[in-house]
Amino acid sequence: MTSKRSLTPYLQVTPLALVLLVFFIVPIALVLIVSFFRYQMLVGLTPDFTFDNYLDVLTNPTTWRLYFSTVKFTLIVLALTFVIGFWIAYFLVFHIRNLLVSIGLFLVCTVPFWTSNIIRMISWRPILGKEGLINQALLDSGVVAHPLTWLLYSDFSVVIAYVHLNTMFMIVPIFNSMARIDRALLEVAVDAGATRWEAVWNIVLPLSKTGIALGALFVVTLVMGDFFVVSVMSGGLSGSATTGMFNDLQFLNYPRAAANAVILLIVVLLIAAGIFRLVDVRKELVR
Amino acid sequence: MKTSSGRRPWTFYALAAFFALFVLFLYGPMISVLVLAFQGPSGALDFPLRNPSLIWFAELAHPKGTGDVIGAFNRSLPLALIVMVLSVLMSVTAGFAFRRRFHGATLLFYTAVASLIAPGLVLSIGILVMFRFLDLPAAWYSSALGAHLSWALPFGLLIMFAVLGRLNPSYEEAAYDLGASRWRTVRDVVLPIVFPGIIAVALFGFTLSYDEFPRTWLTAGTKNTLPLEIWTMTTNVTSPALYALGTVTTIFSFLLIGLALGSILVIQRRRSAQR
Amino acid sequence: MTKSDTDRPDSVQGSLTRRTVMKGGAALAGAAAGSGAITGFPMVWAQKLKDITLNHTGMSYSTLAEIAQQASKDLGFKVTMTVVDHPGMTNRLVNAPKSIDIADMEIWQAKFAIPQGVTQAVDTKKIKNWEQLTPLYTKGTFNGKEVSRQGDAPFPIMYRDSRGAKSFAGKITEWATFVPGVYNADTLGIRPDLVGRPITSWADLISPDFKGKTAIQNIPTNGSMDAMMALQSAGIMKFPNMGNPSKQEIAAMVDHLIKLKKGGHFRALWNTFDESVNLMASGEVVIQSMWSPAVTAVKAQGVKCVYQPLKEGYRGWGNGLALMGHLDGLKLDAAYEYLNWYNSGWVGGFIAKQGYYSANPATAMENLTPNERGFFYEGKAATADITSPTGQKTNSTGEVRDGGSYIDRFSKVAIWNSLPPNAEYLYSKWNEFNAA
Repeated sequence: MTSKRSLTPYLQVTPLALVLLVFFIVPIALVLIVSFFRYQMLVGLTPDFTFDNYLDVLTNPTTWRLYFSTVKFTLIVLALTFVIGFWIAYFLVFHIRNLLVSIGLFLVCTVPFWTSNIIRMISWRPILGKEGLINQALLDSGVVAHPLTWLLYSDFSVVIAYVHLNTMFMIVPIFNSMARIDRALLEVAVDAGATRWEAVWNIVLPLSKTGIALGALFVVTLVMGDFFVVSVMSGGLSGSATTGMFNDLQFLNYPRAAANAVILLIVVLLIAAGIFRLVDVRKELVR
Repeated sequence: MKTSSGRRPWTFYALAAFFALFVLFLYGPMISVLVLAFQGPSGALDFPLRNPSLIWFAELAHPKGTGDVIGAFNRSLPLALIVMVLSVLMSVTAGFAFRRRFHGATLLFYTAVASLIAPGLVLSIGILVMFRFLDLPAAWYSSALGAHLSWALPFGLLIMFAVLGRLNPSYEEAAYDLGASRWRTVRDVVLPIVFPGIIAVALFGFTLSYDEFPRTWLTAGTKNTLPLEIWTMTTNVTSPALYALGTVTTIFSFLLIGLALGSILVIQRRRSAQR
Repeated sequence: MTKSDTDRPDSVQGSLTRRTVMKGGAALAGAAAGSGAITGFPMVWAQKLKDITLNHTGMSYSTLAEIAQQASKDLGFKVTMTVVDHPGMTNRLVNAPKSIDIADMEIWQAKFAIPQGVTQAVDTKKIKNWEQLTPLYTKGTFNGKEVSRQGDAPFPIMYRDSRGAKSFAGKITEWATFVPGVYNADTLGIRPDLVGRPITSWADLISPDFKGKTAIQNIPTNGSMDAMMALQSAGIMKFPNMGNPSKQEIAAMVDHLIKLKKGGHFRALWNTFDESVNLMASGEVVIQSMWSPAVTAVKAQGVKCVYQPLKEGYRGWGNGLALMGHLDGLKLDAAYEYLNWYNSGWVGGFIAKQGYYSANPATAMENLTPNERGFFYEGKAATADITSPTGQKTNSTGEVRDGGSYIDRFSKVAIWNSLPPNAEYLYSKWNEFNAA
């Protein structure tokens, strides 16, 4: 029994481990190796062991500017999605009495996510554009004399699109964490004279921190790794940490793209490790 | 549920209003999609709506210009469904494994996290180069499937962490003590508790795959998946056919959800009738 | 399929004269059969050919579903289309060559593909109408005059020394890098109702008159060409060879672009065709670099838009259809049949209405009505409304095509889309422009 018991977790993780081995570790190892190669346009790759690609990326002030802009977007989007995600999940879990209604409302939130991201980005244009719905309404009502141009092709529209596209990734884990909270705890707290706010702050927030941490990780991953949203919604006027990578790939400079990818991977992994330092998502798991 | 019975607190109304605003925000742009899908032949992707017609729905079914939407959908849907099923199976089992200590747990955990955050464009190339090295043809059901799993699985695994984190092992132990078999314990005790989590993993698996661009970019092989096809459609004369597609997807999703909720309701009624 | 079943035997016997192409296909079939490769059973050959699926991969503007449908109907085997973006094309060519049969690439993309040995050269003897194809590609001349060599002009890339050669011959040989595909000459698109003054020069792209109302392409190789044309025309910079700018020139150009961007000159940089159409149609932008079918798309929405010819000339570009290296046997025969078909008329007529030109103008014109022929190729005023392939009116009776006739337009190509030797540097500088 004991030997069978100790084998079980290994068997249980084997499929996951195999997929990760074949479709992540091997390809990313290739990427890592290539990041030390040399590249000459129109000739190709030369196996080598050079740090030039990394130096190239790191000594370029553009890289830093792009990372700064990406981190800025990440933080703004993180804050917005957290506030929205937390209260939406709270509403669905603690205020909806019927489980089926709660699931139904939850699904209503997810339906737009099944329409392609690209279509959903494009669909903001008739709303935010110079001749879009918002500007028309503002002009007609006389609030503004000239159409607002900062609504579209600006940092504002980028943030709007990110929040629009990524909030679900915050709601879902928080929802799942909250659903596990024993309601009796809240009851006891309120009976003991705690205000509703104190109950949320002292009970709900700490008990859903696993979900918050995971949602934060998802949002950070999605925004830091994004290239299309920022490029489409800023009208090409802003870039992201991935822009450089995409430009390198356009003319097959795999070594520099690989070096760029490795740097981005390390940066985001560090952020992830930071999140897990604050909230050990595995601690509550292990018996 | 007991606390919230009786008169609803003011916070309910505040949060309900917030929820409504959020739904408005989510569906706001969808409204332009739903309306502009009915543009006439000379209609643009922007307002106003001119000579409303159904031609863009017809264009979807029988493409004249660029964009084999139906063909791409016929690849993307099965792909997303396969990813969904596999990520549920694999991440749920793996999630249970993480409830015990085993060698390499931390390494596997961080590998999964790294796989989640690896830049998709570059991973796409890594997988393509690997396939070329092995002389295997890239296709949606091989290389692209693997590429999608490489990030749908970590998502699923982490969701399972949120679900299992507060699953009290004493429930299972109690079931064992009462003489329940292993399978019965899982079926009657564990499964009902983790079920919402499984739904969430399935939703993520499906959505992540169905919408994935960077990881599919070079791994799709000869034929494009839907996001690739849509992206390439935007590199040509984009027509409201894109909006027609969004409209069809949305309506189809609502039907699916209505059907699912309806059947749950019927099952519940039947169960309570039996008791 | 029943249609192709009945078409097929006819075309093999050479009795069908519905289109000139059918004769081409038949002649090829006969030649292949007669060469001993198929030991004289044309019917068996035709049967086997029917099971073949040929994949044509290219960019959205030339890789059109209708072409595949028509080809499948006319040729009796299946042709499918896969659309990719430019970087996707370059990467797939080099790293997934077997996922493509016919590569419909831009001229400059051949510079990536050929050294990697992923394509096989086209045997020009097997291309029946080779001599009919435009000398713009095959001889480097147009209307009797040498074509501009600034940038990646077609001719230097057109030929290789042998089927497997990994470099360009730079002179006429029997081995072509590709069969010429669609091509055109680009200029600036304007909103005549909103610019408020005549537009005559590339310099107007950076004129302060249009601050906040312009856009350029965010594809560095093309965008930089437009910028160079504008800066040179405005007398701000001088480029001895825009196809090969030095690093200093690139740096100075990008510095200037950054200054313009910071001053709010650009409303947007467009990444996709669709964005350029929307910027223009919605009035966000009144002057910008555009592709010809984008102008047509704006007009199809009932918005006034002109593809304005400029005194400095056009930026030319072109595609070619290359055979991938893995093709052999029957599939290679089918590929040759497709290449023959491609420039035999139907495609030419079809893409003319998209705003592009065929490498075989003679057969393309046969597939247009006299009105369309006059409008698209001969610079004549339309005698009736001109409609797009999807049936929308794009030009009214009496209008003349922007830029005039085919001959007028291509006599004035100043530069070609290119992959400059300093492309790597250009891309990294362009990245700075994006980030600024």
